[in-house]
Amino acid sequence: MAHISIRNLTVEFKVYGSNARSLKKQLLSQATGGRIASNANDAVTVKALDNVSLEINHGDRIGLTGHNGSGKTTLLRTLAGIYKPTGGTIAIEGSVGALLDPASGMDAEATGVENIYLRGFILGMTRSEIDSKVDEIARFTELGKFLELPVKTYSAGMFSRLGFAISTAIQPDILLVDEGIGAGDASFRENVIARTQEFVSKANIAIFASHDHAFLQDMGASLISLEHGNIVEDLRT
Amino acid sequence: MFSRKQSGTTTIISADRVPAMASMDLWTGLLRYELWWIFAAHDIKQRFRRSTLGPIWLTLTMGIMVGALGFVFSQLFKQDMTEFLPYLAVGIIFWGLLTSTISEGCTAFIVGESYIRNVPMPISVHFYRVFARNIIIWAHNMVIYLLVIIVFPPHFSWHMLLFLPGFLLFLINLAWMGLVVGILSTRFRDIPQVVTNLLQVVFFVTPIFWSATILPDRTAFIQFNIFYHLLELVRSPLLGHIPPLQSWAIGITMALAGFPLAIWLYRRAYARIPYWV
Repeated sequence: MAHISIRNLTVEFKVYGSNARSLKKQLLSQATGGRIASNANDAVTVKALDNVSLEINHGDRIGLTGHNGSGKTTLLRTLAGIYKPTGGTIAIEGSVGALLDPASGMDAEATGVENIYLRGFILGMTRSEIDSKVDEIARFTELGKFLELPVKTYSAGMFSRLGFAISTAIQPDILLVDEGIGAGDASFRENVIARTQEFVSKANIAIFASHDHAFLQDMGASLISLEHGNIVEDLRT
Repeated sequence: MFSRKQSGTTTIISADRVPAMASMDLWTGLLRYELWWIFAAHDIKQRFRRSTLGPIWLTLTMGIMVGALGFVFSQLFKQDMTEFLPYLAVGIIFWGLLTSTISEGCTAFIVGESYIRNVPMPISVHFYRVFARNIIIWAHNMVIYLLVIIVFPPHFSWHMLLFLPGFLLFLINLAWMGLVVGILSTRFRDIPQVVTNLLQVVFFVTPIFWSATILPDRTAFIQFNIFYHLLELVRSPLLGHIPPLQSWAIGITMALAGFPLAIWLYRRAYARIPYWV
């Protein structure tokens, strides 16, 4: 059974300006007792998530909504283990798969097939898993012979089709998706919706961060609203 | 990206578990060898994409460098090619491995930014990638060593087997140095420049294209030059000599001190690397 239990989760981080990161600033402030370069530590601390508690159960489909900077992406990144909590605890049962950036791992100089492997590996698949899925991915993209060409020769639509097809080949227990999965050109839209729904239905828990209410509705997601790092509304029934 | 756990096991993420997660990250990252090996091989492939000779260029470049330097310096220092060329080849090959691992180690996390911020996988994978890439390059360069010792055979002996423990110690020291500068550089962006300049200076004061024996008594910058001792651990055996005891002692001490230092630093910095990159 997949389950996520979030208790009093707080995530804070320092944002360094362009000036606080240099060693000179740090050394100067040491040497001068902090007078000359008094702004060496002017890093701003951002509280991206503030004491969030949430239980997510097997079968839940959740759409995180809220303004930019409300903490949606931070929550996903923390669940994915990328950002670490500064307070509170998360207990996760099940394997986690995250689609936070539709193109990470893709290399414009490499061919389409090479990219299927590269991104596949990055998404956590093994070589034999990718071997068994590469034909299906290739068929879905409808890119045919183009898959043998470097991805930089692709149009934007072809590129996002390829990325989408690879992304949706994974099968985690818990799926985290930031800002949709990428779509491709209009003629392709129906295939995309069907494949996305099938993909999401295989996951035991799916969490989306999105402004796109139509997409969230398609996915059958219940909305949870965030504001300033807090949950302000939980519309799960 | 799946945290590779079977369903049924529970992953606990909390602030006080971060140091333990950091140690786990180093370990699970190592176990993802398939991933970083592919990354590393891809880097090399990418560098020579559409070139006819491909990675053979690595070997060729090293060969040309060793050949040219060997010719010039054997004339300058009036040294015998038979001894000088193998000495020079080994020195340059291993110095190359050392400097590029350390200087590319500086940017290991920085260039992995989009992965570190978006893909749940061990952060240490990016460090192992740099390491693996440089090992692949080193292997290409070693062809030159083999060619040189065929043409100018050194004194073959069982001492050459000491290369294996020596190389292991060499790599362990490279690993912790690379990781330390990698972490520091991610936080302080001046470090890569500092490191590059330091390595440049060290290159000139370390006997690589000149031999320590031409100095009447060994000066401090050789005696206390840790890079010289690291180099001796691999160079001497490959030339059929036994590395000085002092080099073993220094190599082992550095590994014993540096390895825990690197892990301590990684545990401290682990939670912040995704914000720093």
